[in-house]
Amino acid sequence: MVFRRLLRKRWVLGVVFGLSLIYFLSSTLKQEERTIRDRTLLEVRDSDHHIQWKIKFILGNSSRQISQCRNSIQGKSLLTDELGYVCERKDLLVNGCCNVNAPSSSQHVCTSCLANGCCSIYEYCVSCCLQPDKQPLLEHFLNRAAEGFQNLFTAVEDHFELCLAKCRTSSQSVQHENTYRNPQAKYCYGESPPELLPI
Amino acid sequence: MIVRLCLLVAFLGCRLPVVGTEEDSGPFSTPFPSPLNADALLSPNCSQLTLKLDFSTKVVKHEYIVVFNGYFTAKARSDFISSALRDVDAVNWRIVRRDNPASDYPSDFEVVEIRQDTRSSLLTLQDHPYIKRVTPQRMVLRSLKLTDRNTLHCFDTRWVQKWQSWQSSRPLRRTSLSLGSGFWHATGRHSSRRLLRAIPRHVAQILQADVLWQMGHTGSGVKVAVFDTGLSEKHPHFKNVKERTNWTNEKTLDDGLGHGTFVAGVIASMRECQGFAPDSELHIFRVFTNNQVSYTSWFLDAFNYAILKKIDVLNLSIGGPDFMDHPFVDKVWELTANKVIMVSAIGNDGPLYGTLNNPADQMDVIGVGGIDFEDNIARFSSRGMTTWELPGGYGRVKPDIVTYGSGVRGSGLKEGCRSLSGTSVASPVVAGAVTLLASTVLNRELVNPASMKQALIASARRLPGVNMFEQGHGKLDLLRAYQILNSYKPQASLSPSYIDLTECPYMWPYCSQPIYYGGMPAIVNVTILNGMGVTGRIVDKPIWQPYLPQNGDYVDVAVSYSPVLWPWAGYLAVSVSVAKKAASWEGIAQGHVMVTVASPAENDVSNTGEMTSTVKLPVKVKIVPTPPRSKRILWDQYHNLRYPPGYFPRDNLRMKNDPLDWNGDHIHTNFRDMYQHLRSMGYFVEVLGAPITCFDASQYGTLLMVDSEEEYFPEEITKLKRDIDNGLSLIIFSDWYNTSVMRKVKFYDENTRQWWMPDTGGANVPALNDLIAVWGMAFSDGLYEGDFTMADHDMYYASGCSIARFPEDGIVIAQTLKDQGLEVLKQETAVVENVPVLGLYQTPSDGGGRIALYGDSNCIDDSHRQKDCFWLLDALLQYTSYSMTPPSLTHSKNRVVPPTGTDRPLPQRLEGNHLYRYSKVLEAHLGDPKPRPLPACPHLSWAKPQPLNETAPSNLWKHQKLLSVDMDKVVLPNVRLYRPQVRPLSPGESGAWDIPGGIMPGRYNQEVGQTIPMFAFLGAMVVLSFFVVQLTKAKSKPKRRKPRVKRPLYLQQQQQQTPHSGKNPTV
Repeated sequence: MVFRRLLRKRWVLGVVFGLSLIYFLSSTLKQEERTIRDRTLLEVRDSDHHIQWKIKFILGNSSRQISQCRNSIQGKSLLTDELGYVCERKDLLVNGCCNVNAPSSSQHVCTSCLANGCCSIYEYCVSCCLQPDKQPLLEHFLNRAAEGFQNLFTAVEDHFELCLAKCRTSSQSVQHENTYRNPQAKYCYGESPPELLPI
Repeated sequence: MIVRLCLLVAFLGCRLPVVGTEEDSGPFSTPFPSPLNADALLSPNCSQLTLKLDFSTKVVKHEYIVVFNGYFTAKARSDFISSALRDVDAVNWRIVRRDNPASDYPSDFEVVEIRQDTRSSLLTLQDHPYIKRVTPQRMVLRSLKLTDRNTLHCFDTRWVQKWQSWQSSRPLRRTSLSLGSGFWHATGRHSSRRLLRAIPRHVAQILQADVLWQMGHTGSGVKVAVFDTGLSEKHPHFKNVKERTNWTNEKTLDDGLGHGTFVAGVIASMRECQGFAPDSELHIFRVFTNNQVSYTSWFLDAFNYAILKKIDVLNLSIGGPDFMDHPFVDKVWELTANKVIMVSAIGNDGPLYGTLNNPADQMDVIGVGGIDFEDNIARFSSRGMTTWELPGGYGRVKPDIVTYGSGVRGSGLKEGCRSLSGTSVASPVVAGAVTLLASTVLNRELVNPASMKQALIASARRLPGVNMFEQGHGKLDLLRAYQILNSYKPQASLSPSYIDLTECPYMWPYCSQPIYYGGMPAIVNVTILNGMGVTGRIVDKPIWQPYLPQNGDYVDVAVSYSPVLWPWAGYLAVSVSVAKKAASWEGIAQGHVMVTVASPAENDVSNTGEMTSTVKLPVKVKIVPTPPRSKRILWDQYHNLRYPPGYFPRDNLRMKNDPLDWNGDHIHTNFRDMYQHLRSMGYFVEVLGAPITCFDASQYGTLLMVDSEEEYFPEEITKLKRDIDNGLSLIIFSDWYNTSVMRKVKFYDENTRQWWMPDTGGANVPALNDLIAVWGMAFSDGLYEGDFTMADHDMYYASGCSIARFPEDGIVIAQTLKDQGLEVLKQETAVVENVPVLGLYQTPSDGGGRIALYGDSNCIDDSHRQKDCFWLLDALLQYTSYSMTPPSLTHSKNRVVPPTGTDRPLPQRLEGNHLYRYSKVLEAHLGDPKPRPLPACPHLSWAKPQPLNETAPSNLWKHQKLLSVDMDKVVLPNVRLYRPQVRPLSPGESGAWDIPGGIMPGRYNQEVGQTIPMFAFLGAMVVLSFFVVQLTKAKSKPKRRKPRVKRPLYLQQQQQQTPHSGKNPTV
């Protein structure tokens, strides 16, 4: 009986109602949030809307010690680690870093890269892109990233990921959809697409 | 050069016929009951019907079923039987006609009535090389009973079954690969007759995914990407959609077609039509618009994002014929090199061969073909070898595996389930299975595109009676793959894992023709899968070890291989040839090729370490003595060009929905029926993948050139003249070439944003004319079409040319045809009489060969063929090989005076054509393209044999399973082995397959997903209304009556409400 009476108290009911309302609103808003996230990937950003890029540039010198390296994984014979070293697969250490002392290893090399920022070997493109002096170029690019790239470059977390992603062939690399603009130098860290060669 | 244009997808709302909707319907019997609509059978008060099947058989007297080794046309079958029975005297026999729609297609059996001397004729029949067996005809009586029965289970959640399906025309470009369930053909290939109806069932349960679910594996922690038409946001079937992204030019993320939803559902649906891995992380990539358009550039960006997101499994139920789209192909390599397991649909262009779609035909991708629930290869499933390697090499085996792709149920566009057919359905079945499998592995480092593919193909169950270019390694077996994967050690393996050129039908076409001394080597293109690392190499050289006790020394083997195995795979091309000492020997020879693969050890502590793995490739061949010259035919593959890379238009201009000539024009792709026919006539057919200068003409009776698009080196023209003077014969099946028509069939390709102008006609007639000009012959640029009768055979001339010039002592046959050129150009119809279509000519030199020309190749080509003319090919071969002039042709009333061709100029090459871009003969030059210097003939370096004094295992296939895996050691808990794959239709069950039924205890109820806010809202509304009522009551009460001591509320209410209603509120 006491319980029943308690239930009839206006403030008790108010609390129940309030809690229900809060729960309802929060779960509805959660849904909304997800939708908004989807939308942002979809809608074209306003031109004056600048994206906050979460890029941390590793500026330290090459002797900095880190225990684990990410590397470019895919290479046929070469790999680039996140410090910008390019080495052969056999010179890769267990922690994923290039063996700095191996004769084939070298840091921030732009071998095979042209003046327009396009290279013929992916690993050298990444290594070149990791040069600290490429930072302004990349920031400039990020601030006016092409529409089609928004999905990609909003998800990039740091300099290394940016270079991995930027050097890949993309919609900017092709003419007539199924032909490279320049089959010789198709991996570009720079802003401009590869030079257009006639078919 | 081309890409993907939209294709027409028609939604066919085809509801299956409903049988027996009445609850108390009495027993009825129909010989072939239609599949029952489960929805209709669930009667309102939940009583259900049980179906009883009875059958009895009896032998039909005098009738026998003759089963052949392959599929042959009706004519070929009757030829075989008559040739087999020729020796038995005065046998009274006839073929029992089967008048059904299937009789237009090749079949592998015939019903024969034999009334006399049965025993001996049966024995002779069985001896024929193309007859597999002869069995008595049986009559089967089936009866079907429905009985009423009340069941305990009554499912309130009645789903609405949507028998929606869609049908696609042949994909022009990269298209999504699904089609209507109308393609539900029973091909009759199952080994034994079973009284089973294929009913759409839960594919995840049929593949026993529930066993893995019960063990707690549900795909959690695995990231799956679905590249398709998108997915709507609040679809009730999915609980873990991590992200949806759009890569198209349509501003939506939602699926407008249902294709993407279906595919995602097969992988990860958690309710109703259950997917394989409901807890996996879904990443939806919308790369295909509602109009079925997509571009390579969209894919490139989307794939980059998938790499960045570290996707584990990627399903691509999309494909197209353009394997020379380098940016796309390179990107797929890059994707798998980044450890993304890519599963793709092989294509819906079957049953024609040479129809594999990219990217499923790549070595690093798991290419999936479709079967129906009766384990027949689905008719639509693309098949045939890959055609990248032509003309010099030989195609790889694809698809890799097959699984259910016909009438599979998956998620509907907004809710509910639907059933769909196509390899785009089979692909997510494998992708879902792969996701589930990946989540079972403790050490995820071991899961990579190669190890997963190795596990799938090593565990696949081979279907009987189907060759490897249709079924790959066989049917997906989820549980065996689980066993293999969970005891997997990184290693290399081969696909196919052995070469047994005697094994029929699995090793078709190798088993269809033995090898002999002097013949072109048989090439088997083996794929090396390297589970040890993304990159690898072959150590030293592969070693050929012949088994001396098994005549291995009678075989020469040459091996070529990828210099680097990247990504995860490479090729190993084994050319097998007969040693000179076996020139007149007959028998079986065996040996093996040993390959050691090395990969940098990434997880090894020693940093210079390399992992190695050695695999053996057993080789078994049948050798026969070299057949006589007249029996040997050489097929010119070198001069056949195809799409891709260039626009080579179709050979039959009526086929407007298929503008391209893309099947490879090889005897084992779209000229397969012709090859089978020639083999059945006793000819040996070899393939020339090099210029005409590269073969010994004294070995061959006839050179067969069909539908050639390539130009000729001047050296080839002189060599051919010399060869024909020395007794080689030539048969040319030409095709149309008319520059006005070529200009007319150009089109603007939306996808490549450029005009597409054909580089040749159906064939390259000007080039052919250069080749045959020396004998005073030429084809015209006329374009003709029509039906006619030649030597009592009905013929159809589909877009062919005519003979413009022919030597006056030759035989020329003319026909009355329609001028199709006029029809194409001006839409006018004109009939032309006496069009010379066939010419036969004996060259004058002593012992010189013969030349036969025919103006149209469609009647021997499998694609778009309406009436075959294999009889004509036989007659021409009789003429060229044996110099027997067919009387039916020479004495024909259609014989005309050979044309001199002076009235009309000969066809010229289309001005400004780009053939030089794709030609192996021409190169760009100032002004007109010029021939390149003649390339050197391919030279095989035979491996130095290292003979072994050992004997091969008797079963090569069983012997070659994954090395480290002992299947018996890995035991599954609670495995209900041998669940029937297809059960007789019982309506009592039909409702049940939609209910997860405790498969994942708790989860189903826990994750009510979007219903929670609904409840909250309702609750809030109830509370709110109570308050409102209270407030209004409080207001209406006079202040003075408010008691100091509160009386129980319910009394107040009673007092207040009694005047209004008799009911007490029961709040």
